[in-house]
Amino acid sequence: MSNENQLVQKNAGYLRNYTRSRNSGAPAWWMQRITGLALVVLTVGHYILMHYNPTSGHDYGETASRLTSPWFKGVYLGFITIGMYHGLNGVWNIIRDFKMRSMWGQTLFGLLVVAGLIFVAVGWNTILTFDPMKP
Amino acid sequence: MAYTPNREPLSAWNRLIMKYRMQSGSIAYLLQRATGVGLVVYLFVHIWALSSLTKGRAAFAEEMKTFTTPPFKFAEWALGTLVMFHAFNGIRIAVVDLADGAKYHKKLLAGVWIAGIAVVVAMFFLIFSSELFAK
Repeated sequence: MSNENQLVQKNAGYLRNYTRSRNSGAPAWWMQRITGLALVVLTVGHYILMHYNPTSGHDYGETASRLTSPWFKGVYLGFITIGMYHGLNGVWNIIRDFKMRSMWGQTLFGLLVVAGLIFVAVGWNTILTFDPMKP
Repeated sequence: MAYTPNREPLSAWNRLIMKYRMQSGSIAYLLQRATGVGLVVYLFVHIWALSSLTKGRAAFAEEMKTFTTPPFKFAEWALGTLVMFHAFNGIRIAVVDLADGAKYHKKLLAGVWIAGIAVVVAMFFLIFSSELFAK
């Protein structure tokens, strides 16, 4: 077999392994675009809503009246979750580029997952246990 | 291909960045990552700070007294520059990846800067409206 043929076969092997790999990152890439497009609306909307006048985002009464709406609550539960997913998926994407030893990579991945779960839980807890009547 | 661990991830990444030709696109790529990391850090702080909503009206008002001082208002306005760049450049990335944006990505980037600066300047007048337009 010629050198060239060997090379072609070797590359075909790589390609086959790559497309079959569960670590190709393609699903995460798609999710990053889908959640990103949703977050363009949610985050820019949230930023403007909270700052279009000095009290809209910094006054307890206005915040409490928004949080009486189940629609607002539902949107914000989703906002916290996909915001955290998009952010930590992005950080993981950057970490992957460093090609660390797998032990380091797995440790950092675990830290991101745990931190994300804890802070999504804190955010959900704030919205779901919020009591506007509390003095 | 076999996984080859990178023995000096930081210096390797630094060398890679220094090899870039610093054109508008590679600068946008680096800014997308930098603003993304900044926004993730802010997201954690934000969720943590707002968990005080569950402590009632007095605790929240006390906290907001700090967050409505000029340095914090300025920081909130500056945060908007990260949000707007990351969001508008994110739209550009989606158009390049999922549509034919690769043919006009430089024009899109010009649009990102124009839209971003316009929104950030407009938000300055809204956020500082009480200081700028005193009665």
